[in-house]
Amino acid sequence: MTASTTGTVSTADPVLDVTGLRVTRARPGGGADTIVSSVSMSLGAGETIGIVGESGSGKSMTAKAITGLLPPGLTAHGEVRYGGRNLLELREKQWRAVRGREIGMILQDPFTMLNPVVRCGQIIAESLPGEARRAGRAQRRAEVARRLAEVGIRDESVAHRYPFQLSGGMRQRVAIAAALARDPRVLIADEPSTALDVATQREILALIQQIQRAHGMSVIMITHDLRVAFAVCERVYVLYAGSLVEAAPAAELRDEPLHPYSQGLLLSEPPAGHRVRELAVIPGSVPSPDQVAGSCTFAPRCAWAAPQCRQGTPPLAEVELPGVVPGRLSACVRLPEIRAEMMLARERAGREQHQAVAGRAETALISVRDARKVFQQGSRAVTALDGVSLDVGDGESVGIVGESGSGKTTLARLLIGLERATEGQVTIDGIPATDWPALSGGDRRRLRGTVQIVFQDPYSSLNPMRSIGWTLAEAITTHDRRARNVPARVGDLLASVGLPASYAQRKPFALSGGERQRVAIARALAVRPRLLICDEPVSALDVSVQAQILNLLTALRAERRIGYLFITHDLSIVRQITDYLYVMRHGRVVESGPTEGVLTSPRDAYTIKLIESVPGRQALTPRSATTSRE
Amino acid sequence: MTARGWAFFLARRLAVLALLLVVVSFAVFSLLYLSPGSVIDTLLGTNPRTPAELSYLTSEYHLNQPFLTQYWIWASQAVRLHFGNSIQTSLPVTSEIRQRLPVSLFLGVYAYILTVLLGVGLGIAAALRRQRLADRGIVGAAIVALSTPAFVSGVFLIYLLGIQVRLFPVAGPGTGFFGELWHLTLPAVALALTATAYLVKHTRAAVIGVLDQDYVTFARARGLTASRVLTGYILRNALIPVVTMSGLILSYVITGAVLVEDTFSLPGIGQLLVQSATAKDLPLIQGVAMVIAVVIVLANLLADVALMAVDPRIRLGRGSR
Amino acid sequence: MSTAVALPAEITGAGRRRRRGSWLISACLVVVGVVVVMAVFGSAIAPQDPNAQNTFFILARPSGAHWLGTDSLGRDVFSRLIAGARTAFLGPLVIAASSMLLGNLLGLLAGYRGGRTDALIMRWVDLMWAVPGLLLIIVVAGALGSGYWLAVGLLIVLTVPFDTRVVRGVTLEQAPRPYVEAARTLGVPDWRIMLFHIWPNVSPVAIANAFLVFAGSLTSLAGLSFLGLGVAPGTPDWGLMLSEGLQDLFVNPIAVLAPGVMIVLTATSMNLIGDWLQERLSSKGAAR
Repeated sequence: MTASTTGTVSTADPVLDVTGLRVTRARPGGGADTIVSSVSMSLGAGETIGIVGESGSGKSMTAKAITGLLPPGLTAHGEVRYGGRNLLELREKQWRAVRGREIGMILQDPFTMLNPVVRCGQIIAESLPGEARRAGRAQRRAEVARRLAEVGIRDESVAHRYPFQLSGGMRQRVAIAAALARDPRVLIADEPSTALDVATQREILALIQQIQRAHGMSVIMITHDLRVAFAVCERVYVLYAGSLVEAAPAAELRDEPLHPYSQGLLLSEPPAGHRVRELAVIPGSVPSPDQVAGSCTFAPRCAWAAPQCRQGTPPLAEVELPGVVPGRLSACVRLPEIRAEMMLARERAGREQHQAVAGRAETALISVRDARKVFQQGSRAVTALDGVSLDVGDGESVGIVGESGSGKTTLARLLIGLERATEGQVTIDGIPATDWPALSGGDRRRLRGTVQIVFQDPYSSLNPMRSIGWTLAEAITTHDRRARNVPARVGDLLASVGLPASYAQRKPFALSGGERQRVAIARALAVRPRLLICDEPVSALDVSVQAQILNLLTALRAERRIGYLFITHDLSIVRQITDYLYVMRHGRVVESGPTEGVLTSPRDAYTIKLIESVPGRQALTPRSATTSRE
Repeated sequence: MTARGWAFFLARRLAVLALLLVVVSFAVFSLLYLSPGSVIDTLLGTNPRTPAELSYLTSEYHLNQPFLTQYWIWASQAVRLHFGNSIQTSLPVTSEIRQRLPVSLFLGVYAYILTVLLGVGLGIAAALRRQRLADRGIVGAAIVALSTPAFVSGVFLIYLLGIQVRLFPVAGPGTGFFGELWHLTLPAVALALTATAYLVKHTRAAVIGVLDQDYVTFARARGLTASRVLTGYILRNALIPVVTMSGLILSYVITGAVLVEDTFSLPGIGQLLVQSATAKDLPLIQGVAMVIAVVIVLANLLADVALMAVDPRIRLGRGSR
Repeated sequence: MSTAVALPAEITGAGRRRRRGSWLISACLVVVGVVVVMAVFGSAIAPQDPNAQNTFFILARPSGAHWLGTDSLGRDVFSRLIAGARTAFLGPLVIAASSMLLGNLLGLLAGYRGGRTDALIMRWVDLMWAVPGLLLIIVVAGALGSGYWLAVGLLIVLTVPFDTRVVRGVTLEQAPRPYVEAARTLGVPDWRIMLFHIWPNVSPVAIANAFLVFAGSLTSLAGLSFLGLGVAPGTPDWGLMLSEGLQDLFVNPIAVLAPGVMIVLTATSMNLIGDWLQERLSSKGAAR
């Protein structure tokens, strides 16, 4: 049933065969924009393939094209062969026999995927095949209960509840049950775990695998996270700017990527196991397919780009090089020449760097003692922080790790004056900072000049109606009313985060996510703080851009000797950036210590669970001979 | 929600609305004192100013009592639907109102039904054919209809369908059910036009909003039939903002009724109100105002109940696990 | 995404729509321009004295001397139409401007401050929400006596809640956004945040709304005059002309239909301009 685990692709009788898929969007003035320029892949029976790409790669549209659910204005060309016919030629009525019955799909966001005004049991019941739907009420109920049990929900009351009454993980399970109600042969999972907590992610991925084995389904897993693809898929297709750049068995790809982009993607992710000196970065940002038409899509950002790369679109061709298993495809025309260099770059990037961790500073810049924060929501009281104590020394880089609901963001807001602690003490630079409004204006100014914050969402971190220069100038002049030569200082700030001074005239919508985050960092630095609180600063960015920002933060720290309080849920990032670590859960600190120590030898059960939930950390099922660390 | 929960909810809402009515009644009552000139003069109207008349009015309206006592007396009578006598006709206000109410009710309900049917229907049609000719046509027509107040559309309808093409009668309410239906068609259409336009805009926006939602895509991905998607998903969810608007729709219908009744010479409450305002017939104004206030309050209560029935998130409270 | 590619589809879409629909907007602007000219110059540009009665020439059909005929008192309809633009334009202008000023202030306060300020303001807004404005004015007019500027004042009071609610809605969306919080953590004072940070993001909706309010006030005031509770009798006013000419619909329909057409034309143009402005202004900031 399962394809062989050595990675050869079963091209014999693929269940789904995509050839030359192209998706275009009609432009209102005439002409068309390309979303996906060319995708070809095949899916064998019982196989799990992964389509990996960042935002702008076109992966979601590929999935929607295969199921005929493209939004209005978009058209798909090419061939999608299933059951002997080209699905792209189907009319809407014919599609209805295919969708759900032959090909099922689950979407990314469990919070918007389910009809909010219909009970969960009904959502599943309406998806059942005709005969089951027309059966009597008791039979229907039994069938629904069976489906729910299959996705791990044994509580019968769930069928009576509305989606908004369930957690994200539960909603995703209900969605999976509904998508599988007609026993499709193929399941397309579009980022099924992205919107969920790390631990829940793992559960959902395991569930999908389990169901796949039970039903003999084939699965197309769409994700931006290579680690997820490696953990779950047998074969991985890497999509960049609308075209495939590489296709290979998962383990082979992980061990040796055969395209500069795949390699870049792989290296952008901080290794889970150790710290590196600097993350390998892909400069620039993802272009649209039309911008790179007629050349290798990755050429503008590739370290090995040569004139031949820009002469026509390189095809995805079989790689025939020594030491490479058959069935690996790559779109890099220079591969034979640069293979060795790529290997070197990989080694260099992966080299561990031991950081001598100094002992903790004697006087803390920030000191939190037994902080408690209770929120009143109507009649309910929600305890966000339940007795948290924490220290951050001058110039130290401290991390806070936790899932959503752990209280880490509330803690950050406490330190910055956006919230007030219900109990406990907060001291910043010797000033009691528990109650900001009670302080004198001068004290408040000092606090603001000591601690600043960078938020998670770069898209709403900047005022969309104001130019970058205006935002930065305001940051400067608010703090320092007698500031002189502001435009020059704005230029300096932009330069310090790697942006040209001309950006001061631009408005946020003209900047990419990574660039906006840089501006947000520059704004925080405008007051020359001694500590920067970073609240999930890279989780909303593409992986390749994440590395840029992380490197920037590391560099800034060395230059300016500022400290960080780095809040994140991602353990690899925290290992890369911080020296000390606090692990939070349900408003409490469950473990703390030097980052390296906590991550290598965790003591608390929750910390252990977090570490094990990292995809690829512990393979869900043995995917290839080399992985499992059971 | 349990029966007990419903009872509490209704009781709370009724209490709030009762309070509202009290405030409104106080304001309405005070009008007598706000109007320029002495109270007596206002009450006299065009009647001769004889000592007999004056003493009658003083005792009838308790003008010697303090303000709040007067209010109390007035309010306690108002609750029993005694609003005194009209200054113009000397007839009891209540009977005047009772005489005029049926026509207005008929007109109002007629117009409301037209509004809902056309508004929701056209709104959905426009949303489903987004950006195509039908959509643009409907939206364009809606904007023009929005800008056409009821009296203008009434006049145009009279001219086009009543005079040029003698299809409908142009005045009077007609007799018998079908007679009334026939006579009140033009006024009802004129009345419904503005409210329909608003409903079309909002329904269209609501349906478009729903069409873009993930849950519609997911429903299609599961192979659900188009009709199931339309009814269970699109309509069900688009209904919510529409119900939210129903209070506003009612406002437009009531407002327009005043204008339309005048245009078509219909002896209804609206015309009564305008006549009484022009003649400064305070007791009549007060009576009509209170009746209309009660109607609005009740309608809003119904809208609230409907909203709870339609949206389980409101019924069960967000975040209840 | 690099800057060259980052222009979202909305901008190109709006641009195309602008080009296609621009003839419509130009037409609307022309109509409004004409009305403004009529309002400003009034009788000065009318061919005849709008108030001159001529008992020999009542209810005449359109002719060379009287382009739109005469009304029941022999007055030239066309001149009255021109003169009537003043009452049609001035009142609504005052209402839209005042309501925008007050409504924006209250809406910003309610949305940004939240808490008790918000609760208080919203209580009042909800109260006024379901009240049919016209009826209220009629009732008050019955007590206090009718009048154009009284109606204008009352309409301002009735429209402010509408503006407030709209602005509060947008403010509520913007206030929790990180860029506002960042401004707070930098120490920017609240009033500056409301006016210079939040309001620029609110302005597209607020300005578009002002146009809608204008159109609505125009029809409301005309309606009041129609009922005899607005302008003084005899004043040239579109609404009043409609009611004056109603009984003579059979004889000189133009006298009645012309002011009706003007009301609809002006209100439609303002509505269309308001919608168009909203699209244009919000795509300028082009949030995602």
